[in-house]
Amino acid sequence: MSARAVRPKLPFLWATGRHNRVPSPYPWLMPVILVMGLFYLYPVVDVFRYAFTDLTLLGGEGHYTLSTFGNVLMRPELLQILWVTFVFTAGSVLGQQVIGLAMALVVVRSEKRHLFGTTILRTTALIAWVVPGIAGGIIWKMLFNEAPFGGLNSLLRLLGMAPVQWLSDPDVVMWSVVLSNVWRGTAFSMVVMYAALKAIDPSLYEAAEVDGASARQKLFFVTLPQLRPAILVNMILITIQTLNTFDAIISLTGGGPGRATEVLSLYTFNVVFRNYDLAAGSVLSILMLVISLGLALVYAAFLPKDEKA
Amino acid sequence: MKLSTRDRLGDILSYAFMALMFVFFSWPLIWLLSMALRTRKEVFLGVSRLIPKYPTLDNFVAVLTSSQFPHYLINALKLSCLSAIGCLIIAAPAAYAFSRFEFKGKSAWMLGILAFQMISPLVIMVPLYRYMSRLGLIDSHFGTIMVYIALGVPMVTWLLKGFMDGIPRSLDEAALIDGCNRLSVFVRIILPLSTPGVASAFIITVIAGWSQFLVPFLLITKDSLVPIGVGIFQYAGTQNDSSIQVLAAACLISVVPAIIAFLALQRLILSAMTAGAVKG
Repeated sequence: MSARAVRPKLPFLWATGRHNRVPSPYPWLMPVILVMGLFYLYPVVDVFRYAFTDLTLLGGEGHYTLSTFGNVLMRPELLQILWVTFVFTAGSVLGQQVIGLAMALVVVRSEKRHLFGTTILRTTALIAWVVPGIAGGIIWKMLFNEAPFGGLNSLLRLLGMAPVQWLSDPDVVMWSVVLSNVWRGTAFSMVVMYAALKAIDPSLYEAAEVDGASARQKLFFVTLPQLRPAILVNMILITIQTLNTFDAIISLTGGGPGRATEVLSLYTFNVVFRNYDLAAGSVLSILMLVISLGLALVYAAFLPKDEKA
Repeated sequence: MKLSTRDRLGDILSYAFMALMFVFFSWPLIWLLSMALRTRKEVFLGVSRLIPKYPTLDNFVAVLTSSQFPHYLINALKLSCLSAIGCLIIAAPAAYAFSRFEFKGKSAWMLGILAFQMISPLVIMVPLYRYMSRLGLIDSHFGTIMVYIALGVPMVTWLLKGFMDGIPRSLDEAALIDGCNRLSVFVRIILPLSTPGVASAFIITVIAGWSQFLVPFLLITKDSLVPIGVGIFQYAGTQNDSSIQVLAAACLISVVPAIIAFLALQRLILSAMTAGAVKG
């Protein structure tokens, strides 16, 4: 708009050619609209439709019914599944956010002081981030191997500590899964926090210095408030990512022992593709959608209004 | 400048923290490499043989000469590259429109596209599996690629739009005055100038495709058509403690291509990754 307004000759030239009309964006958007409509919108609408049926994957047309909703939401195991999902998500998100922020702070400080090793650390963390979920699960399964030669237990033995039942103790296994997820996911938070730190106006620190602020005061009164929007956006992204995590768990624990690590996405998968219950799986899918949407709205409410745009 | 004690203490703490984090992030990969290079006997010696006394490449040879593994790798390469190309073809025009045109509801459209990313692939796979089996697209790479494309399009659209925003509009206007239409402006000027953005979007989509598990796990049942993500999962299911070194080698082979692709374009990918999150 503004670029055209400042050039007096352009409107005239534009009006003479066949470009005088404002070009319609829709031909350009059409491929995206088609693909997203066909592979996202239509399936999502169908998920809502299936939720009111008794469809299975075994064939048959099914009937419309309202009872699937109630039946699924009243299942006795659902509460346990939701709790497991909550612990896994909260643990992973907090771990990734806190460690990612700490790493970004240390890396920025070290770069300023020309310390050695920041690039190596950043690259190593990012390599973990690129590892596919399934492979990550397999790698951590080797580390958590409870035999005396397992990757962590043999290390503990070397240090004279007792071995841990990483994957077979139902009280420990969730933290093992969270640990592996933090390993894989933290690099993203680190990179986002690093970029946000770099974007802080240096004059704020100069002003703080003039006022005689200590390093800790600078952190709490300049850095963290300035990072708030970036932290919230990052938390939204990693929360949704974690809620949808599925491959890293299926290859690490398969949801076990018992149901100790069966998160909602894995449970939904099992209901649809192991029990062939399409209708119940659709209700659970809607539950997943509602939870991610709700969380996104809650986080968004904390965003400062003027910085949303 | 004189080093104060406080600064020096801070440096020591920084080094300690960085060392700790380095061990945390590198240990799993070091362990994987160590296992992959061991003979069966040395596997049972645990951490005391972190550097194997009798290192061997036999495990890698065993994996690469097996009947299925080369297929897994080729299938994964095919699926991820073709879907990345498809993503670019579909997303680039939309990215151009979002970058250059002013129209009603533009930001709503853009947010709408981004909102799809919130939806777990599992949710859409529930009905898609049913459609695909009705259409006879189970065990077809075409059907799988289409789903990969749909999963990748939102991010690629945003990435390319962000990149095209950085190309001066005056170039478009000059070309329009010279008689180009919008399409030739897009093809002859914007696309060539977007090469770095296109390259990083391509690599990001290839890495995402390489890591795919859920979609091919559901849509492909024939072992000869399965990509690496599914292949290694099924392979792991058939292994036990006595062949852990072969599994480690297989796992390493499946991970290394993604890592190399990432490292090659690290800088571009990082800036693309953070652009969305920091700008909000």
